[in-house]
Amino acid sequence: MQITVIVALALLVLTAIGFLVGRRRATRVASGQPSALHSLPSYYGYYIAIWTGLPALTLLFAYGSFGSSLVNILTMGELEREAAPLIRAYEADLSESPDYQTLNEALGQIETEIEATRNALEQARQARGPVDGYQRDLGELTLDRNDVSDAIENLREQIAFAVAARAPDSVAGHRARAGFEYWRARPDRRDLFIADARAIAFQEGFPSRVTPTLNAAGAAMVPWESLFRWSFAGAALALAVGGLTWARGQVSAGFRARNRVEGVISIVLFATSVIAILTTLGIVLSLVFESIRFFAAIEWRIHEFLFGLQWSPQIGIRADQVGQTGAFGAVPLFAGTALITVIAMCVAVPVGLFSAIYLSEYASPKFRSVAKPVLEILAGVPTVVYGFFALLTVGPFLREFAIFLGYEDAVTQSALSAGLVMGVMIIPFVSSLSDDVINAVPQSLRDGAYAMGATKSEAVRQVVLPAALPGIVGAILLAVSRAIGETMIVVMAAGPGANLTANPLESVTTITVQIVMLITGDQEFSSAKTLSAFALALVLFTLTLLLNIVALRVVERFRERYE
Amino acid sequence: MSKATSIRDAVSARLPRRHRAERRFQAYGLAAIVMAVIFLAFLVGSIIIQSVPAFTAHRLTLPVMLTEDLVDPRGDRSEASLRRGSYNSAMQAALREQFPGIESRTELRELFGLYSAINSARLLSQVVEDPDLVGQTIEFEFPISDDADLYLKGQTVDERREAGRAPITLTVDGETVTLRGDEPVFAVFSDRLRQAMTQRAEADEAEAARLIATLDRIIDRDEREVTDAQIERAQRRAERLRLQLADASGLQLGPRDPSLLVRAGETVIAIRSISSDGQTAQGEILLPAGLGPRRVSDWVLWEIETPAATRLITDRQIVFTRTLRDRGLVRNGFNTLLFVNADSREPELAGVRGAFVGSILTMVVTMLLAVPIGVGAAIYLEEFAPKNPVTAFIEVNINNLAAVPSIVFGLLGLAVYINIFGLPRSTPLVGGMVLAIMTLPTVIISSRAALKAVPPSIREAALGVGASKTQAVFHHVLPLALPGMLTGSIIGLAQALGETAPLLMIGMVAFVADPPFFGLSGFTEPATVMPVQIFIWSTSAERAFEARTAAAILVLLTLMIVFNAVAIYLRRRYERRW
Amino acid sequence: MADIEFLDTSSEPRGDTLYHPVTVGYETKVATQGVSVRYGEKVALKDVTMDIPSRAVTACIGPSGCGKSTFLRAINRMNDTIDNAQVSGSVLIDGEEVNDRSVDPVVLRARVGMVFQKPNPFPKTIYENVAYGPKIHGLAGDRDQLDGIVETSLKKAGLWDEVADRLTHPGTSLSGGQQQRLVIARAIAVNPEVILMDEPCSALDPIATARIEELIDELRENYTLIIVTHSMAQAARVSQMTAFFHLGALVEYGPTEEIFTNPRDQRTQDYITGRFG
Repeated sequence: MQITVIVALALLVLTAIGFLVGRRRATRVASGQPSALHSLPSYYGYYIAIWTGLPALTLLFAYGSFGSSLVNILTMGELEREAAPLIRAYEADLSESPDYQTLNEALGQIETEIEATRNALEQARQARGPVDGYQRDLGELTLDRNDVSDAIENLREQIAFAVAARAPDSVAGHRARAGFEYWRARPDRRDLFIADARAIAFQEGFPSRVTPTLNAAGAAMVPWESLFRWSFAGAALALAVGGLTWARGQVSAGFRARNRVEGVISIVLFATSVIAILTTLGIVLSLVFESIRFFAAIEWRIHEFLFGLQWSPQIGIRADQVGQTGAFGAVPLFAGTALITVIAMCVAVPVGLFSAIYLSEYASPKFRSVAKPVLEILAGVPTVVYGFFALLTVGPFLREFAIFLGYEDAVTQSALSAGLVMGVMIIPFVSSLSDDVINAVPQSLRDGAYAMGATKSEAVRQVVLPAALPGIVGAILLAVSRAIGETMIVVMAAGPGANLTANPLESVTTITVQIVMLITGDQEFSSAKTLSAFALALVLFTLTLLLNIVALRVVERFRERYE
Repeated sequence: MSKATSIRDAVSARLPRRHRAERRFQAYGLAAIVMAVIFLAFLVGSIIIQSVPAFTAHRLTLPVMLTEDLVDPRGDRSEASLRRGSYNSAMQAALREQFPGIESRTELRELFGLYSAINSARLLSQVVEDPDLVGQTIEFEFPISDDADLYLKGQTVDERREAGRAPITLTVDGETVTLRGDEPVFAVFSDRLRQAMTQRAEADEAEAARLIATLDRIIDRDEREVTDAQIERAQRRAERLRLQLADASGLQLGPRDPSLLVRAGETVIAIRSISSDGQTAQGEILLPAGLGPRRVSDWVLWEIETPAATRLITDRQIVFTRTLRDRGLVRNGFNTLLFVNADSREPELAGVRGAFVGSILTMVVTMLLAVPIGVGAAIYLEEFAPKNPVTAFIEVNINNLAAVPSIVFGLLGLAVYINIFGLPRSTPLVGGMVLAIMTLPTVIISSRAALKAVPPSIREAALGVGASKTQAVFHHVLPLALPGMLTGSIIGLAQALGETAPLLMIGMVAFVADPPFFGLSGFTEPATVMPVQIFIWSTSAERAFEARTAAAILVLLTLMIVFNAVAIYLRRRYERRW
Repeated sequence: MADIEFLDTSSEPRGDTLYHPVTVGYETKVATQGVSVRYGEKVALKDVTMDIPSRAVTACIGPSGCGKSTFLRAINRMNDTIDNAQVSGSVLIDGEEVNDRSVDPVVLRARVGMVFQKPNPFPKTIYENVAYGPKIHGLAGDRDQLDGIVETSLKKAGLWDEVADRLTHPGTSLSGGQQQRLVIARAIAVNPEVILMDEPCSALDPIATARIEELIDELRENYTLIIVTHSMAQAARVSQMTAFFHLGALVEYGPTEEIFTNPRDQRTQDYITGRFG
């Protein structure tokens, strides 16, 4: 078993002991007169237990979270220092290599040319002159640059190989080679290197490969790891024992143990509620930060992102590719989202609203007790199930129906099928919110209408609904916000094609579909393509947040009026 | 006439209309609810119907000879040696035994396509467990390929069989067989086929004509190209059919036409051409079984209506499958693999267990995080928080978090948990953490409602006898609010159980062929969960996954019903009205 | 016990309050000095100064919203539980300042018990209801002692005979009057010095009310009772001292007989004679 687990268990035992010690101590201090104590004996127990367990467990948790990265940093630092001679030799060889110098000069030249061409292109574009020639040049130059970069990389590889071969075939040599390999590696390769070394050294999963350098790196980690493991274990235990002793010394008859313990409890409770803020902060910061990176990658053409009509992020995979411009115009996604939302609302609002009216004004209690759970079940069905249903049942059915009606180009993944099914998903949402709102309208208003001889439907239509209108509008806004953010139904039923169309029988795409496509497709995190998902999510988040704030405001106003 | 009566008359004159409006209005309401109910019934019903085929599976049982040189190359019965054995060869040999006449490589490839080679892994483990099996012949049972399974279930292929009307004479000449009936025995088939082909040709021609008519209206270049291609395809199809029909020598059968087989004894012949008089036909032997008598009177005309080009199972595989079933070697039974296996690329081997375990592990993480934090936050906000801007801000925050689209939480998990904290991708740990923050608002809001429902008099009573605030809350309020809090938490967890989108963001779509270890280390190994499994299967190309997806949905729905039933039970059992 | 001059009889009233002379000798248990309570902007109680005698029943009367309940809650600092309540002035129990920072309200409330308008037993057994206070204050060393406390308290509250055989039944299963006596037993169980009662009979029928009034009279021997009541008859029946509150101010305070027979303030007279209320 892992030492940390043992220590954690030991700490738990110590905490329990701390509790018992505290309680006994309190009873002893009181000398059989429990009422002489400020607090109940068990509070003294809790007090000591908190001091025994909390700091030590926090320390242990900190070790568990950051211990291994500390070990990695220290080990690799050590190995890199040992690799210093190799690194020096490598750099010396590089600078002496005439090929390397030539290639670097060539690269510099090409870079300058690219810069110049780009400027010329930009000027031509502003002057609305012909740009094709520049673009062709830029394309060729980019290819040249890639060739030269590849050549440089190859040369580096050769020299590195030669240098590494010079290290002795001993433990020290392997260590130095490991440090050298790590020093040369790109950041993502570095992570893999460390993961493999750890896998070899500590059996943490399976290494992707086993090489002498990885073995050496793994072996180098072992002493650090055990040093930290033991010192943290010792420190945690010492902290626990220290805490116990110190807290025990504090116990006296007048000591306000209960107040202290309750203080800790309320701090913990406060901390839990702060997590909600941290989550929001995390969402906002990560979305904004990654969006900024995205906008930087597309050279701050934010207006093109928000108002551009062309969405084809695939072109942007290679950041320096010609013709990348204009690929990130998100209007088709906004339009698709809007189209599907409108269709969904056309289903959800009438059905949901009429259900709510019927349930709250007409239905017998018995009917209500059956119908309400059915609506709740509709709300509880996972969206992926709706998606499956839309994809395999509703989509083909609508397609056949459209073809039957004479529309030959009908597709299975249409905006209509996604919107219809999403509408059904939202029915219970609309109906339960409207139900609340209708029930909040005071009975006296209805009574007033009945007293004048209104029929039930007249009372509902002319008195209750107008009175409930703001609340219903709020409910619909909340439903819209939910429809905009819904993902699985549209991923499965609406399709990926970014068509700018208002035809519900065509395939459209939405913000959420694109986020899923972008994130699940490409694994490279920092490409503009992946980052654009965060920019889309930022739009989505802002939109739903605004809708939600407005809706809650409206509903609140409505409630204040009648309460 | 007095004024009062005239008013009364006016009112009663309008009355029928008002009553009709009343009834209409009421009918709308009822219709809305009925629509919702019908939709739910339709949804559940269609999923149940779709799932039915997934619950049974056809299995093949063969006597497999475990000869020593195949399965124990070193001959010492050691595990190392046994693991190097070629068990698939043993299975292939067993299958060849059934069809001695099948020799050519293409034929064998079709034969071995009846099962997936992964099945041999189970044979291997069986032998490793009991090395004495080497040298013996064992009855080995394994699932037949999904295409054969679907064929046997009658889902992918339409066919009809009828007894031959009159005796036929067979002449074998190398590869080809000539069949001559005493009467025009093939005429019925060829006439029907000709008719169908004529219809298809006419439809294609009409289609081409319609498209040509639209051509003038199309300005867009791309669209024009697309339409041109469509026209060309339709014309080529029609042309081919017309050529086929015009052939005076007879009817040639290709992969786009229904297959016609003749079965005499165990021998099966695929017809390739039929003479125009419908009396003679030429074909090739699909399944040779000692072509005995030249003249047969007891034979079957076997028409596979679904053309070979539109199905995944070949004529020969259909013949193999049916022959094996006729020999009693293929049996239909309950599909246990669906529940005990993890995901697989082979539909017949794919099961939900991996996703099920993944879901449970993920839910454990979600529960351990969301419930204590959510309940703690609710207690703080409801009982302890002073009325100040910080508290108000927290409350607004929580309300807004509840409305944040779930996919955004997935992106948060990707950006923060995976990219900043470096937690392992695709694992129940990260999935659970993402779902926990997503569920948190639900738990907090329902817990606060439960706390609010406890009347203030209880708090006053406790404070009145000198309990501290903390004691009043923990001794009196919390126990009373607990059932409500639990109910809310379970409902929140049930939501999280059905959630897919945020988990796609953190890479839980990974294909995981082994069920995750049901223990501590399982939390940090790649896994998938039920809803994501459903998503993966629903986007798979294999037809057999369709039913399995529906079956997986039923499993998920059952799980959610259990969750909700527990919540309802708790509410009913402990609900207290004040 | 020496006869102690309770309050100045002759001189002009302090503040706006009229004080009647006290002829019987009492010890002061609770003394308030210029107590004011504000809920946000609203002043609920202004500048109340009164000495409350030990081992006697003091009744607070007055029309709704006159601040008498607020006054009661100021004595055991229950106003702390209301977010925007601000209390000023001083409340002394046995000369000890209640509003002092060093005083733990929890300890205070163990000394000053409280009974509420509506009976509010915990949704637990009868036994646990009474035993809860002693438990959290650590008043009983073992189970036997606790049993003893529960029995004595229930006896003192006159409930023992009715519930002795069903101590494990939930407290909420009792009738309203029994519940109120259970709540009184719960308050007595921590052996308080002062018991505050906020309209203890308003939710009860006349028979149960009579029973509680009897109980109050018995409790007077050992405890200082302060009772808020709407019923003037009740105040006259059970109390020795009466304080009349109006619009947040203490209008008149003195021996009950004096107040009822010889009110000096017009408002007191109007209220007692039923002209407003």
